[in-house]
Amino acid sequence: MDSVHDLGGKQGYGAIDVDEPEVPFKHEWEGRMWGISSCSGSSDWTIDWWRHVREAIDPVDYLTRPYFDSWAQTELAAYVDSGVFTLEEAISGKCQSEAFKAPSPISVDEAVAKDRKRDTNFEVATTKAPKFTVGDSIVAAVTASSHHTRLPAYVRGKAGTVTTHHGSHSFPDLNAHGIEEGQHLYSVAFKAGDLWLDCENADDVIYLDLWESYLEPA
Amino acid sequence: MATFDTKNIAEVHQALHSHLPSDSALRVKALESLLVEKGLVNSETIDAWVEAYSEEIGPKRGAQIIAKAWTDPAFKQRLLDNATSAIKELDYHGHATAHLKTVENSTTVHNLVVCTLCSCYPFSVLGVAPNWYKTAAYRSRAVREPRSVLAEFGVTLADEVKVHVWDSTAELRYLVLPERPSGTEGWNEEQLADLVTRNSMIGTDRDLSPSKGTS
Repeated sequence: MDSVHDLGGKQGYGAIDVDEPEVPFKHEWEGRMWGISSCSGSSDWTIDWWRHVREAIDPVDYLTRPYFDSWAQTELAAYVDSGVFTLEEAISGKCQSEAFKAPSPISVDEAVAKDRKRDTNFEVATTKAPKFTVGDSIVAAVTASSHHTRLPAYVRGKAGTVTTHHGSHSFPDLNAHGIEEGQHLYSVAFKAGDLWLDCENADDVIYLDLWESYLEPA
Repeated sequence: MATFDTKNIAEVHQALHSHLPSDSALRVKALESLLVEKGLVNSETIDAWVEAYSEEIGPKRGAQIIAKAWTDPAFKQRLLDNATSAIKELDYHGHATAHLKTVENSTTVHNLVVCTLCSCYPFSVLGVAPNWYKTAAYRSRAVREPRSVLAEFGVTLADEVKVHVWDSTAELRYLVLPERPSGTEGWNEEQLADLVTRNSMIGTDRDLSPSKGTS
C-alpha cells in the first residue's frame, strides 16, 4: 500500500527528540494499550493484516496522533471488520450483545512466562528452490501491491546485492489476506550511493529483508 | 472473520475518525471497557502485562546479553551465529525474537536499526520501543541521512567508519553488539551491563567508555 506509513527516505519530518525520558510508557493510557494488545486479538487476524489495518488509518491521523493511539484505532477497526464489535459498540465503548465468559486473570510472573511463548516462528516451507544465492546482484521490483507489502518505495527499482538467504518465510503480501504461503527471504544490501543522489557517504550500506518475488536478477 | 479488504477497513477507519473522542486516553479506556464487558479480556491481566513490561522485560535484559558476550567469547560466537538460540540460554527469548540477528560494531563499522514501514522491535530483549524510534522523523531519516541522525544523538563518526543501517522489513529483528570500551579490563558482567545503554543496542549510541561524560 502506498501511503504515509512507508516513510523511508521521506523528508520534512524535522529533528528527533533525543532527550525524551527513558520510560516504557510516558502516559498511563499507553501502558493500558500495550497491556490490551498483549492479551487481546482475534484468531482470524494475521500480523500482516494487523499492519495493513494500521497503515490504512487516515494519513493525517497516522502522522499526527500519538503512536499507541494508532494501536487503539487499529484494534477497534479490526474488531469491527471481523464482526466481533459493531461500529456502534466501538464508538460507544458499550457492549450491546451477550458477553463471553470472562477469562481468569494472570499474574505478572505468568505474563513474563507467557511472553517466552510469543516467539512466533515465521518460517513456512516451500517446495521451490531459491532463485538467488549470496553474492547475486538484484534489482528490486518497480511496482508493488496496493494491498499490504513489505517492499518499501525507497528501494523499488534500485540495484542491490544478496547477502544472506534466510530460508523460506511466510509471504506478507498473502499473509495480509489470511493466506500463509512460504517464500524465500533474503537480506539485500543497497549502497547509500545507489539510493540517494546526495548521500552522506556513498559506501554506507542499507540492508533490507526482502522476499524473492520482490527481486529480479540484475 | 476478517474481510482482509482495504476498502472495508478504510470505511471503518473513516467512521471511527468521525465519531471517536479525540482524547487518546478516552479512546483506550473505551476499548478496554468494551473488551472487558464482552468478556474478551480481564483488566487484571492488562495490569500484569503493563507490570511485566515496566519491571521485568526491558533493556536490562539486552545489557546482560551484551555484557555476557564481552566476557565470554564462546557465548559471543553463539550470539553472532544464532542469536535466537543464544538468548534462550538466559531465558530472554519471547515476543518478536524468534528470528533475532546480532550485528557487531567495530572500529570500521557502526550499525543502526530502524523499521521504516512500522515499528518492529525485539521486545523480549529490549522491552517497549522508545517513542523516538516510532516517530516519522527517525523512520524517514535513518535510511537516508543516518550520520545526521547519529549526530543528533551525539554520535559523530569518522568517514572511514561505515554505517550499516538495518531496516526491519521482515520478521528478523536486530540487536546491535557495541564495542567493549577500553578501561574496563577485569570488570565483571554486572559492572559491564551497567555501561550498556538501550540506545547502544539500537545503534543511536556508540562510545560506552566509563570515562565518557566525566571528561
